[in-house]
Amino acid sequence: MTIEDAFDARLKAAFADAQDDYETDRESADAFVKRVQNRIARPDRRRILILGAAGSTGSAIAGTQLETFFSGVNVPADGVMASIAAFASPETMAAGVLAIMISGFAFILPKRI
Amino acid sequence: MKASDEELVALVVAARDTVAFGELVRRHQGLVRSLLARMCGNRALAEDLAQEAFIRAFRKIGSFTGAGSFKAWLCRIAYNEFLMSARKRKATEKAMDRFKQDVDDVEAPRDMGSVVDLDRALATLKEDERAAVVLCYASGLSHSEAAEMLNMPLGTVKSHVNRGREKLKAWFDKSEALVS
Repeated sequence: MTIEDAFDARLKAAFADAQDDYETDRESADAFVKRVQNRIARPDRRRILILGAAGSTGSAIAGTQLETFFSGVNVPADGVMASIAAFASPETMAAGVLAIMISGFAFILPKRI
Repeated sequence: MKASDEELVALVVAARDTVAFGELVRRHQGLVRSLLARMCGNRALAEDLAQEAFIRAFRKIGSFTGAGSFKAWLCRIAYNEFLMSARKRKATEKAMDRFKQDVDDVEAPRDMGSVVDLDRALATLKEDERAAVVLCYASGLSHSEAAEMLNMPLGTVKSHVNRGREKLKAWFDKSEALVS
């Protein structure tokens, strides 16, 4: 074995010792594995909250425009939808659509992340 | 009989089996945590990066084709985490500079086997040299695997390893001469 080879062996041993610190400390290894598994099992709540808040704000803004949209609709219609529309004010219809949109965000977001 | 890495990966891909992934984490946590600790010279930061690396590995596990070893694939993810973190935080570089200054001030090391001494010696290398040396010596990757991971020509990686190795040798020789 040359001197260079001897140094290589010492260097490898030094790196192996450094890694052994993590391998032999069972408590630290177990805690690390647990932390990773917890992170995998639990989606990032902050991300859900941010996306949920953004979606809800968008829905609310869109909802405020719906009332104007429904009050301007003047289409001759018959059947069930026409009967419902006859009893529902534009405000009620806008609120209904808004509720559907927000429920959609609440239902889909946690599943998509 | 213990399941191989590839068998565990297949379980994770097929059923998102977190227990199987936990076993993979247990097997490779020492390598990844040690690799990142040597790379960034900061144990707390290395712990965070190692955690992020495993989370990313879980999310991307479907992209592991089995062409190379799982260990090499994991090391690549860990190294990318280190790079992203270094780019995001310029403060990391400042911290490294401070660390280097601290190294100059401390008493000469006595034993190469000491992890602290190894970190001090590694801190004297340039970033590319340190990455090449750590990947080849700590992770046991071949020069060509390290070249692929570092996105460098094979010859450049060999030069970095040789130069880094020479610097480390000079550092340890000098330290031992000071002590004796």
